[in-house]
Amino acid sequence: MSALRARGIRVRYGTTTVVDGVDLEVRPGEVLALLGPNGAGKSTLLGVLAGDVTPDEGTVELDGVDVRTLRLADLARRRAVLLQENRLSFPFDVVDVVRMGRAPWRGTEREDDDDAVVDAVMATADVTHLATRRYPTLSGGEKARASFARTLAQEPAVLLLDEPTAALDIRHQEALLAEAVRWARDGAAVVVVLHDLTLAAAYCDRVVLLAEGVVRGDGAPHDVLTGELLTDVYRHPIEVVRRPGSDELVVLPVRAAALEEIR
Amino acid sequence: MGGLLPTPPEVDLTMPGARTLRGLLATLAVALVVSGCGGGASSGGTASADGGVRLADVEVAQDPRAITGPSTAVVADAEIHPVEENPTPQLPATVTDVQGTTVTVSDTSRILALDMYGTTARIVYELGLGDSVVGRDRSSEFAEIVDKPLVTTNGHELSAEAILELAPTVIVTDTSLGPWDVVLQMRDAGVPVVVVDSERSVQGTADLIQQVADALGVSDVGTRLAERTTAAIEAKIAEIAQVAPQNPADRLRVTFLYLRGQAGVYYLFGGGSGADSLIEAVGAVDIAGEIGWDGMKPVTDEGLIKAAPDVVIVMTKGLESVGGVDGLLEQLPAVASTPAGKNRRVVDMDDTEVLAFGSQTPDVLDALAVALYAPARS
Amino acid sequence: MSLTSPRSDVPTTSDAAPTGTASTDTAPPRPADAPTTPGPVRTALRGATVRTAAPVVAPRDEARRGRVVALFVVLALALVALTLLAAGTGQLRIPPAEVLGSVLRRLGIDAGAQATHPSTDAALWTIRFPRVAMAMLVGAALATGGALMQGVFGNPLADPGVVGVSSGAAVGACTVIVFGWTFAGSWTVALLAFAAGLATTMLVYLTAREDGRTQVVTLVLTGVAVNAVAGAAIAFLTFLGDTQAREQIVFWQLGSLNGTRWPYVAVVAPVVLLGILGARATARQLDLLALGERPARHLGVDVERLRVVCIVLVALLTAGAVAFCGVIGFVGLVVPHLVRMLVGPGHRVLVPASALGGAVLLLGADLVARTAVAYADLPIGMLTALCGGPFFFWLIRRTRRSAGGWA
Repeated sequence: MSALRARGIRVRYGTTTVVDGVDLEVRPGEVLALLGPNGAGKSTLLGVLAGDVTPDEGTVELDGVDVRTLRLADLARRRAVLLQENRLSFPFDVVDVVRMGRAPWRGTEREDDDDAVVDAVMATADVTHLATRRYPTLSGGEKARASFARTLAQEPAVLLLDEPTAALDIRHQEALLAEAVRWARDGAAVVVVLHDLTLAAAYCDRVVLLAEGVVRGDGAPHDVLTGELLTDVYRHPIEVVRRPGSDELVVLPVRAAALEEIR
Repeated sequence: MGGLLPTPPEVDLTMPGARTLRGLLATLAVALVVSGCGGGASSGGTASADGGVRLADVEVAQDPRAITGPSTAVVADAEIHPVEENPTPQLPATVTDVQGTTVTVSDTSRILALDMYGTTARIVYELGLGDSVVGRDRSSEFAEIVDKPLVTTNGHELSAEAILELAPTVIVTDTSLGPWDVVLQMRDAGVPVVVVDSERSVQGTADLIQQVADALGVSDVGTRLAERTTAAIEAKIAEIAQVAPQNPADRLRVTFLYLRGQAGVYYLFGGGSGADSLIEAVGAVDIAGEIGWDGMKPVTDEGLIKAAPDVVIVMTKGLESVGGVDGLLEQLPAVASTPAGKNRRVVDMDDTEVLAFGSQTPDVLDALAVALYAPARS
Repeated sequence: MSLTSPRSDVPTTSDAAPTGTASTDTAPPRPADAPTTPGPVRTALRGATVRTAAPVVAPRDEARRGRVVALFVVLALALVALTLLAAGTGQLRIPPAEVLGSVLRRLGIDAGAQATHPSTDAALWTIRFPRVAMAMLVGAALATGGALMQGVFGNPLADPGVVGVSSGAAVGACTVIVFGWTFAGSWTVALLAFAAGLATTMLVYLTAREDGRTQVVTLVLTGVAVNAVAGAAIAFLTFLGDTQAREQIVFWQLGSLNGTRWPYVAVVAPVVLLGILGARATARQLDLLALGERPARHLGVDVERLRVVCIVLVALLTAGAVAFCGVIGFVGLVVPHLVRMLVGPGHRVLVPASALGGAVLLLGADLVARTAVAYADLPIGMLTALCGGPFFFWLIRRTRRSAGGWA
């Protein structure tokens, strides 16, 4: 039984069809990467999955329940979303920002665990030492990690992450995705929008390749991430190789000729 | 009359961002008002003008229109002549005031009579109850009252605290002084407040006197004062009629101008302001009435030129504030184009007397008549 | 392309045995509407990370609590002290002992000092106390309205006037003043000011609405437009009025607590208290709104409904404050900002602290207004503008300069 299922999603903005007939399914325990070039419709699709954007056609089901029938409070207890922009209107402390993730559980028994959960997720995201700092004074990467902690604090069954690694350095990128995998192993369903194809190949169980609103590939990384498909979709020569001494995929743009030309 | 300088029309003070500017301008304005309106003293103003000549004693000019130059109308005798000394009020007195409120006055030992023109205070003195008066408003400056504490601040605004400090046992007022809430506060505090008519005119004087007298339990003294005043007014009007040009076409065309300061605050006083009644009583033509001017509104240049007054009456302090006759003609070129301006026929009179009406009306009429018709001697 | 199974064994939903746990672990019975979150998701948190996680929340909360309590105590003491001072100051000087004596007498206890002036009791109970009460109510209302506005707009420079409530109320009041309406006696001005303030706010809100959503920027711009129109209306009314009307208009626009009576306090009090309680109820949601509209929605906040509720509350609070006392500005800007600087931006503390702070501020300002110039009653709105204006400039410069935003 899928944790999150989208069927026949079509989203139109004016005369442009941004998402054109997409089916997508994520099971508990899976980490799914949503990949594709700029303007492919990834963020829009994520918005539909999150329940922010109402598609012109199609349905989204969370644990078999149509998202449109769920109250905002119920939605908040089932899924958490991490967006790219991390703004804050007022100078809250980092620990208060993380604690905001506990908001959906107010008035339930889970509220008793608030402090423990916040402490734990902050340790996970490596922001414990920033706890009493004012959020707006953090660097971009630190803000991203603190926001990730907030998302985790929601203890969601479905985790939707929109380019969570964009501002992070290598160490924290790896740590974040490792944590996402750990959550999936414990039963959550995770959808991650990524630009780094190698990262996606390394950590994700499945990959959905989106281009111009249409799914061009859906399956295991080894199956979907091929040189020809990627070159076609990204309109740039791309080569997929194996890392020496292991099974890992490394996705690289072919740039020798281009560099020659420039130099 | 006290007032706040209006905000200059060129500056748009409505945009949210200009709130600070408005606040600063307001500070300036209030500071000017407070300093200019004598907001400091709690007592001790300068007594009203006194000691002018009587109409009966002067020689009237042949053609009033030919007179040139300004003149000041000064009341011959500003002294209070009470109808009866220290009458015994019939208390408790229950009256229905002009607003329909039933008020019972049981103690008249500490009286406050307050209004914009100073009329009621003077009436109280003329009723012989002057010794019981404990305070005054800004418009009351006759010799007998001028040293009593002031209960108005910021010009003509009533101060609840100042009033309570004097512990009055009865207050007589009309609706010309505000804020109205202060009057209500006095009622809340248990002080009986009797509201009398706020309209002023030559004809309404007797009625006003009676209202004040009834409120203080001296109704028959009031009746006598009213009769005395009415008789004096009628006699004076007749006297002036002898002196004024007989032919209506030859009568002086007169208007009342309210002036204040350099910021261009000039009002024409028309129907219902009392000025119309005054001007007609001195045998002149009220041109404001002619052009259908009602109430007290800012003067338009065209209106003034079209009306073409022969004489302009102003208040003394108002004239000072615009810099005398020269200042007036400079700042209001419309006046300069009228016959009044060309002949510099500006008649000024004490602020606290000219529109006060009440029991002093005959004397005021007399003084004005002298200034209009026989100014050489004033 | 087929779906491959996940890499390792994933326990299915029903095996929910928590392993080696930290002391706080309990297996909570699921409430009826809880989702079927697999138990082991929580296990991740019970693992090594919890045992080694340094407690961060609890100590920080302790420290914060201390400052909050201190702030409330200081404000409460200031309020009491100012009340005694304000009640005793004025043209009629009443020493604090006599003030207390008068209060005790009202309560039936004849223990305190006797009044030395025959009008002491009258002055206290018909002039001073109503004025003190009104100052507190109006100050609290304006400050709370400011805090709400800033929360809803996510901007510390937002002010209740933005939604047009003050200028709308001004139009209502000026209309009554100029045309001399008295259909409700001495309540007429207040009544129409209140109604007009609410109506203008509704107009701004409905105009800015599109597809059932309001964008913050659209709201502000619509407010600017409406303010401009209201300003023109007031200018026209000023032109129509006579001398007395103009004076009244100007003084109403500058704000004054002169002439406050108990019946007015009785009307303003429930409106203001209702508004403050309502504001406190939205506090948590306003905190979440600081994350942004979308994130707040993701956390379960109905942003549009919150916005409507807050705007209604602001209109209620501000219209109530302005109706009797005229336009008094900047309190809603200054007080919440100072409170934020002292105890942080959390709205559960900000709302009541602002209310208290606003009460103290306006009470102090009214005291100055009454006593600064002998025998004169300065318009209080002028004082708040005088102090608030420069503060506003300083605030703008400061927020532009600081790196992380509004700290």
